Amino acid sequence: MAEPLRTPYGGYDVLDKWDSPSWDDFTREVVRRRLEEVPGRRFLTAEEWETLDAVCARLIPQDDRGDRPVPIVPFIDQRLHDDRGDGYRYADMPEMREAWRLGVAGIERQAAERHGERFTQLSAPTQEEILLQVQRGRVAGGPWDTLPPQRFFTDVLLRTVVGIYYAHPAAWSEVGFGGPASPRGYVRRELGSRDSWEAAEAWNPVRGAGGAP
Amino acid sequence: MRGAVPPRPAKQRLRAVAEPGAEARSGPARRLYQGAAALSFSVFADSAVEHYRGGFYNPAMYVGPTVSALALGASLSAVRAGRRGSAARTAIFGTAAVAGLVGAGFHVRNVLKREGGLSWLNLFYGAPIGAPLGATFAGLFGLAAERLSSRRDGPNGGKAPARRSTAGELLGLAAAAGLLGTAAEAGLLHFRGAFQDPFMYIPVTVPPLAAVALGRTALRRAGGRSGGVARTLLWTTAATGFVGMGFHAYGIHRNMGGWRNWMQMIQQGPPVPAPPSFTGMALAGIAALDLMDGAHG
Repeated sequence: MAEPLRTPYGGYDVLDKWDSPSWDDFTREVVRRRLEEVPGRRFLTAEEWETLDAVCARLIPQDDRGDRPVPIVPFIDQRLHDDRGDGYRYADMPEMREAWRLGVAGIERQAAERHGERFTQLSAPTQEEILLQVQRGRVAGGPWDTLPPQRFFTDVLLRTVVGIYYAHPAAWSEVGFGGPASPRGYVRRELGSRDSWEAAEAWNPVRGAGGAP
Repeated sequence: MRGAVPPRPAKQRLRAVAEPGAEARSGPARRLYQGAAALSFSVFADSAVEHYRGGFYNPAMYVGPTVSALALGASLSAVRAGRRGSAARTAIFGTAAVAGLVGAGFHVRNVLKREGGLSWLNLFYGAPIGAPLGATFAGLFGLAAERLSSRRDGPNGGKAPARRSTAGELLGLAAAAGLLGTAAEAGLLHFRGAFQDPFMYIPVTVPPLAAVALGRTALRRAGGRSGGVARTLLWTTAATGFVGMGFHAYGIHRNMGGWRNWMQMIQQGPPVPAPPSFTGMALAGIAALDLMDGAHG
């Protein structure tokens, strides 16, 4: 297990707000479901699930979380199973479910063609190399004939993965976020100001003042 | 004309004659101290919360709550103890009067330095320009009360000196100006709040009417002045200040999270300690009427 991620919000845990005026029953119920009711596999095949899991581990490495990473693929699967999209898509992109299927197949195709192995079997640097090729559009043939690789990487894959990660309380604690601004919102809205119920920064992550690494 | 004057000031006049030197315990001086106390309380509590909200980013922001707390203490001690004029209180009230003016300057600067400069948006959400003047009025009312208390101890004894005849008029005009200013600020902020509750119109109607009646009474010096209408309106305004606190407390209750979310709501909801400013101004206006009655009645 890697060293814990060092954040300016040291001992801050957003779940400490559970019984505070910052959260109400509705918020608690939503967060409880997110923490406890992690959906199982319903849409993706077992292989697709494994591939996506390996992709997520490269996009947002969570080595420091040990055996309790923020679950990402379960929520992608849920979204695909429910077929609940954003309500829009680029004209040159296939429909959501189709896009994910093609994208995962395209990544596996790249792994097989270049390295003769499954994506999940490759080393981390090799996996990152393949993802970089997708991100830069340097892949072609097979699924990539119908799926624009750059669009898939940036607008579908990355956006979804980051969105799901930062919907989790563990990620909120990491960035000093207090959860939904309801019922308690923000009063001090000037630049650089902080309300008394907001997480305090031990050091400024931008300027690095006071002991940044 | 005496028939139109409510009995209260008549009693006060009698007591003033019977008890020379007791001005601070009764009559206009006491009423003035009460007005100064209500105003100081309002300025203290409101500025303490608002400046806390502003994170005291400028050390000068400690001045407002500190000076108004001192003025509150001075007014209350005068009301309770009924002591004669004191140099310490005079110094405190004088400081409050000056600090309020300086504070208003700071608040003007705060509004002007914001993006867009002088605009409705910045007037709505920047530092309230008129608010620090509450300390100025509290200081002026306190100073006036100090002078009234002291004069009773002078060689004239229980008799009012001739110069006092203008004191009531001046004080009345000052209180009228204060009422109009307070009503303007309430109007600005209640407009910001879209007058979402019909009762939000009260502070922009009753106090201005009281101010006009008081101003007319003060200006119509030669005879025919009863001030009865002004007195009624001023008492109504004074009551409005108290009732307003209740409305603002109810407003917080209606906000997201209600009073359980008080830490946010006292900073963001309707300011509970703001309305008593009207009470303070109105009490000073009533003291002015008493003075005018005492000088001419």
